[in-house]
Amino acid sequence: MMNTEKIQYLEQVATRCRINVARMLRASGHGHIGGAFSSMEIVTALYFHKMRIKPDEPNWEARDRFLLSAGHKSMVQYAVLAERGYFPKDVLDTYGQIHSIIPGHPCMHKLPGIEANTGALGHGLAIALGMAMGLKLDGSDSKVYTILGDGELAEGSNWEAAAAAAHHKADNLVAFVDNNGLQISGKVSEVMDYSPIAERFRIFGWAVREIDGNNMKEVVEALDAVPFETGKPSMIIAHTVKAKGLKQGENQVSYHYWNPTVADCDALERDLLEVLDLEDEKYE
Amino acid sequence: MSEKMFDPRKTFGKAVTDLAEADNRIVVLSADSGKSSGFSDFMEKYPERYFECGIMEQGVVGISSGLATTGKIPVFCAIAPFVTARPFEMFRNDLGYMNQNAKIVGRNCGITYSDLGATHHSLDDFALMRMIPGVVILAPQDPNEIIDAVSAMIEYEGPVYMRIGNPKIKNLYERQPVVIGKGRKICEGDAITLITTGSTTAFAMEAVQELAKEGVYVEHIGLSTVWPIDKELIIESAQKTKRVIVVEEHYVKGGLSTIVLEMLNENEVHVPVIAHGIPHDYASNGSYEELMSYYKLDSKGIKGIITNFIKEDK
Repeated sequence: MMNTEKIQYLEQVATRCRINVARMLRASGHGHIGGAFSSMEIVTALYFHKMRIKPDEPNWEARDRFLLSAGHKSMVQYAVLAERGYFPKDVLDTYGQIHSIIPGHPCMHKLPGIEANTGALGHGLAIALGMAMGLKLDGSDSKVYTILGDGELAEGSNWEAAAAAAHHKADNLVAFVDNNGLQISGKVSEVMDYSPIAERFRIFGWAVREIDGNNMKEVVEALDAVPFETGKPSMIIAHTVKAKGLKQGENQVSYHYWNPTVADCDALERDLLEVLDLEDEKYE
Repeated sequence: MSEKMFDPRKTFGKAVTDLAEADNRIVVLSADSGKSSGFSDFMEKYPERYFECGIMEQGVVGISSGLATTGKIPVFCAIAPFVTARPFEMFRNDLGYMNQNAKIVGRNCGITYSDLGATHHSLDDFALMRMIPGVVILAPQDPNEIIDAVSAMIEYEGPVYMRIGNPKIKNLYERQPVVIGKGRKICEGDAITLITTGSTTAFAMEAVQELAKEGVYVEHIGLSTVWPIDKELIIESAQKTKRVIVVEEHYVKGGLSTIVLEMLNENEVHVPVIAHGIPHDYASNGSYEELMSYYKLDSKGIKGIITNFIKEDK
């Protein structure tokens, strides 16, 4: 069981990472804030609690892997990698600039710590499965984590990979669906309804849990329980709020992508600083 | 050369299986395509390194990418259009853009699945694969070259597409190692430079022999690597003969002929070039022999095309 202090610490880290996103948005004037903010607790818990990593040795062989299948949420990963010490925070100010090493969609050849070049939807789960199969073949106990968008589930390639992951008993593979319920055109349920998502993955042979994906305690408890079943890949359906943490944007489809002014970014940062306890550095 | 005929798929599968004994990085993926790609022995010998995924080619390309990130050398072979046109974006992003060390092999290439019609023909695979930066394209021309191309592609660090056929083939010439990016001069001549690749080379060699009987001496260049192209060999020959014909079991647009034309133009070698292959349309169906004859890609057809070109170019 996690103690309350550790959970509070992780929540503070998530807030600091949201401030990192505000910094990127201020630099570029645009970005996919909706999915970056809805998945912030998940990615924070992965890098600050769960994953076996060495930030100063991003290609360490025994590391756990994380890739964003929904690569457009890239700001969440950049924010967390910077906070975790993978690269200097100054780099966040290059977001949106020509030749930036933190492009709109992550690129492994530009930024150490990125495991796959994602952004085109429906690619990440198969790549993650291949990683998991390779690690298993080596007798490694490393795990592979990925996040899918709920809108992304309409890409049929996910279901190929989902079936293959169960068939090959990839219990070192853990996937999240960032189920914020919104995609660029509107509600996922209206654009292309893939509910009940949990049931579909169960039928495909996965061990599935549903959590509140913006509740750090629930995220951590789910991660601490994987694999949910030996011999099965684990799926965590994370019910989240799109743009969680941006007051005016929460659960608004129009905040899938945001073109903020500098003043908007300042206001966002001020709001986030209000909930941030700057003295709380005890887990550094 | 011996007249002994070899099944290209079995030759390929055995070559991979032989290398896998000493190289445990080699893993084989199947989209319900392993047995028919010559991997029956591999399955028996190395079951832990054989991954059957069922008929899901785009997923298999993605899985190959992930496996390669862990240091494995995935080899995935299936019917050519299903590993090129169908999973194109996975090939481009997951193998090309990610620069992963995976080997994708399209079998039953060109129109060798003749009677099944255009869904099963691959007449655009050179064009598609060449548009992915960093992908090497191999098209070995005889059984020994298939074995040596497998060695070359396993040794090479990076994504490779290899194309092999289906009908049995025989060895064409003395064995030489396959060096990626290098072709071979099959015979010297001064009348015209003939460039071929893959199984087309065998038909072209027959045509060249017949033409020699008539006093027409063709300089024949055979390419086991389509991309990157062997510039030096082709430029030197084109400057000597002053005319070039490219013959391939591929569309006349976008394939080897386009590569040769672009390369000669970039190097300011301005000689007439004839592109001879399948017209840019959905190819018809029938037996392989009938179709090759219909599209003038058998030895008789190739001989006729060369004769006409030389006559018109005088």
